[in-house]
Amino acid sequence: MAGLGLLDFGFEFVEIFAFVVLATVGLAVIFGMMGIINLAHGEFILVGAYATTFSFAAGLPLPLAMLAGVVITAVFGVVLERLIIRHLYGRLLDSMVVTWGISLVMIQLVRIVFGNSAPGIGIPFGQLPIVDGPVYYLVLAVIAVGLLGGLYALFMWTDFGVRARATMQDEETARSMGIDTDRMYASTFAIGSALAGLTGALYAPVMPITPEYGTGFLVEAFVAVVVGGASVIVGTVLASGFLGTVNAAVTNVAGTFMGQVAMLIAAIVAIRLLPEGITGLLADLREKRGESE
Amino acid sequence: MTGRGVARRDVLAGSVATALTGLAGCVAEGGMVGFESGSDGPTLAVLEDRSRDFALTGTPKYRTTMLAIEEINRDGGILGEEIDVFAPDPQSDNMRYQDLTRHAIYREDVDAMWAGYSSATREAIRPIVNDHEQLYFYTTQYEGGVCDKTVFPLGATARQQLGAVVPYMIDEYGDEIYTIAADYNFGQLSGDWVRIIAEEHGAEVVGEEYIPLDESQFGSTINNIQSADPDFVMSMLVGQDHSSFYEQRLASGLTDVPIGTSTNMAQEYEHLRIDPPALQDVYAGVNYMEELPTDRNEAFVERYDERWDDAEYINQEAQNNYFSVYLYKEAVERAGTFETDAVLEQLESGLEVEAPEGDIALDPATHHMEHNMRVAHADENHEITFTESETIGPAFLEEVGCDLTSEAEQTQYEPDAFYEVA
Amino acid sequence: MSVDSSDGHLAQLRRPFEGPNTLGNSSAFWAGLAVAVALLAAMPVVFGYYAAEVGAVFLAYALLGMSLAFIWGYCGILSFGQVAFFGVAGYAFGIVAINVSTLTGATLGLLAAVAVSTAFAAVLGYFMFYGGVRDVYVTILTLVVALVLFTFMGQTAGGEWAIGDARLGGFNGMSGVPDLGIGVGSVGLEVGLVGHYYVTLGTVVATYLGLRALVNSQFGYAMVATREDETRTEMFGYDTTFIKFAVFTIGGAIAGLGGVLFTTQNNYIDPSVFGITAAALPVVWASVGGRTSLLGTVGAALAIQFVDYQLAISGSEWALVFIGSLLVFVVLVMPEGVAPRLHDHVAEYREPNDPEPAETPAATDYPGGDD
Repeated sequence: MAGLGLLDFGFEFVEIFAFVVLATVGLAVIFGMMGIINLAHGEFILVGAYATTFSFAAGLPLPLAMLAGVVITAVFGVVLERLIIRHLYGRLLDSMVVTWGISLVMIQLVRIVFGNSAPGIGIPFGQLPIVDGPVYYLVLAVIAVGLLGGLYALFMWTDFGVRARATMQDEETARSMGIDTDRMYASTFAIGSALAGLTGALYAPVMPITPEYGTGFLVEAFVAVVVGGASVIVGTVLASGFLGTVNAAVTNVAGTFMGQVAMLIAAIVAIRLLPEGITGLLADLREKRGESE
Repeated sequence: MTGRGVARRDVLAGSVATALTGLAGCVAEGGMVGFESGSDGPTLAVLEDRSRDFALTGTPKYRTTMLAIEEINRDGGILGEEIDVFAPDPQSDNMRYQDLTRHAIYREDVDAMWAGYSSATREAIRPIVNDHEQLYFYTTQYEGGVCDKTVFPLGATARQQLGAVVPYMIDEYGDEIYTIAADYNFGQLSGDWVRIIAEEHGAEVVGEEYIPLDESQFGSTINNIQSADPDFVMSMLVGQDHSSFYEQRLASGLTDVPIGTSTNMAQEYEHLRIDPPALQDVYAGVNYMEELPTDRNEAFVERYDERWDDAEYINQEAQNNYFSVYLYKEAVERAGTFETDAVLEQLESGLEVEAPEGDIALDPATHHMEHNMRVAHADENHEITFTESETIGPAFLEEVGCDLTSEAEQTQYEPDAFYEVA
Repeated sequence: MSVDSSDGHLAQLRRPFEGPNTLGNSSAFWAGLAVAVALLAAMPVVFGYYAAEVGAVFLAYALLGMSLAFIWGYCGILSFGQVAFFGVAGYAFGIVAINVSTLTGATLGLLAAVAVSTAFAAVLGYFMFYGGVRDVYVTILTLVVALVLFTFMGQTAGGEWAIGDARLGGFNGMSGVPDLGIGVGSVGLEVGLVGHYYVTLGTVVATYLGLRALVNSQFGYAMVATREDETRTEMFGYDTTFIKFAVFTIGGAIAGLGGVLFTTQNNYIDPSVFGITAAALPVVWASVGGRTSLLGTVGAALAIQFVDYQLAISGSEWALVFIGSLLVFVVLVMPEGVAPRLHDHVAEYREPNDPEPAETPAATDYPGGDD
């Protein structure tokens, strides 16, 4: 029985971990790397979810529908970046008000165009034995982990990644060294948008879709990004792990409400104790070790 | 710091305040402009959400109300007068509701109001409604207990809905109940009612869980239900995030445990928004659903679809809004005037109305309806069937002694004051 | 009005409120302000009770906006959770005033509410600033605090969530909050419907003047210095941590005052004041109006709420699309906000014949963002 309890807890952790990672990852790239507080992050997810749902309803098989969701959101992101967002680089707080406005507009436009509800998809893959949970959650967790690995490789090991990071750190220098910084901004934003679109696509079967769909992701995303700190990918993993554990553990013992509150309070305490985020702490530790050696 | 500056500031602030208080004396209710409503005819306020959180449920309410008013105007209005409508969009915002309610009362001088989906909205505007003794119809199914002289909560109460479905479920499936409910006023009070009704029928609530409104991941809840292994689940989940429960229920193989509900299907039409068979064997205690197979209802749905071409599902409260407009018309015509006191008197005279749900009567003492309650069942294709209807009155308010015909109260009663809800 | 004859005296009276940290230091500005206040004061006279009730709510919002402009515009602390103090004060007033149902209750309620919101801001400020939390982390942390309150208050429906006679009321909110009043027992002044409007207007004006005096004082210079370059300010011997802590606390007090005026006007408060939509509003007002201008923020709060309200009345499904687009447009075209931009235009126009430089470059050239 205790073994089963542990298994249940493990599965709950997988569910919450996947949710936090996927809610966060697009924002982590846009906020963590580009310094844009994207309050319309939830609506990027919304675009992905709607594109997926309507592609699926139009007869595309689910994986292709999801791909359509990702592509459409990426294109949408690029258009928005060229039209509006590019004026906001270096204006962290203005970006917040502008994206808030964008989010209002998008939710209402979606409502006007598509109505108050959209057709459902249904969770694929059936259920797991023993813990009786959806197999799909395991798939989500695997995708989440794979995504983080892929992003880490992309930004750390590829030529593109080096150039993108150089642009975000010091645009002037990067440009003087021959990097097309405009393109770097646009493509980084496109990656962030595509990731948000993927989240929407992946969760379209799990959560019935309405124009308010995206708001459900926003809090978890911001909390995780901030707790994670400056190094976006590593930070997202650690923060999602930390917050996911707190949420799953407390939920398991004391119910969903306490789980949610505990997660938020854990985030407050974490920000207070680690003002630079978890990865700030790691950097400190590394520095100290370097000194002592 | 600048001590002198502070002293001056005080003097200045003081003199400004004095001057302003002086002004207060010369303000008249209507101001110098003296606003009157746009026309002399009767005006009804329809404050229903068409954007943000409650648009899904508010839009059909708005539409059926407009349908009723347009039908009435086409047939010559009320007392021969055409009805004007004040229908802004409160955008699911309680603060906005308060301002719009003031606008409706002061500027439009409305004769009656239909307003709000959530109980929080009703409570937000009730102080204003009370101040002005404004006639107000609130038609969402709700936790019950409002006993207020000028307020007519005409939706079915939790007790009425649960009173229909819980005994049915106990008869059909057994006496071990697991309750899951939204963690706010309505959900918590509904949970109390499930316990009270269960006890009355010799059943037992073996587990209970209250879930924050913005939760969309139900793994832990589903786990707990599976390990408690109840005969059936009572679900009072509310809102768009909670509707994820049904998809996750299906994917976790929980469809073998039937679910009774007072909130799902008849409000947010989950059975149409979510792919079958996620809502297989969900039983809802309702006074109305769009699928109700009566001639009168089918004609009503047809008129609605004709009027609104991208028509959304007619939920329970949309029907309630529709019949209550006709109820109001009847009361005004009997009173022979739109004057509030006279109309109130007629509304408290035992009116009946031919609603799409069937013929129903307004209980004068409590200002609630005696609804035709039935249990609606969704099968694996989400096809809806209904049990025979039974008339269930607002028993709780009668028990606590709410009689608005003799005592003009403005309260809301709760079950834990009258029952042992341990 | 005999402005000219008493100009010397008036100029002296003005002095504490003027300085390089505020826009508008000319006679024309003060005359304009007086006219604006007079117009606001005339609103209920002209338009009746309706204007008094709705106007009082908007003015309470303006107070909330001003509290943010003060801490963000002048000290570089962007709090996304000003509504937390606003709401906590509203609830605190309700709890005290419902339990002590005389004018004593209303008076105590007012004091208790402002004390509670001030103390809450002080604790949170101490927790953050003495813990080295800064910049955008402050923003997110304050937002999370508001959301915790939102989640928590939403589930306080049951009878066990009562303090004395005051039920917290959960999602449905706390009803039956008494009107504002000052006095002991039944002796004193009960602030009625119209009176409430003027009390709120008076509070806004007094707070505005008070904050102007403050930001133009020694302390104000230290605040602005902290905003511009914290490290350097610290090297000059200022305790910047304390400055931020103090400013944040004052901001909490003002937001709390706004919350009391808001709650007593509606006789009701519910957890939606802590929600993310409400939390974003002060940030929007300050951004649009110009966060370095207290008056700009007040104007933006009043104007945006008014436009938004008119759009809602129209019932148009395009209302939110319009208001959202407007925000995007204003911030893109006028990055520093409407008021500083307006001021620049006026200053340019008057440059040739007005010897008094109405603004030092330090405040106008503030590039935006505290990052």
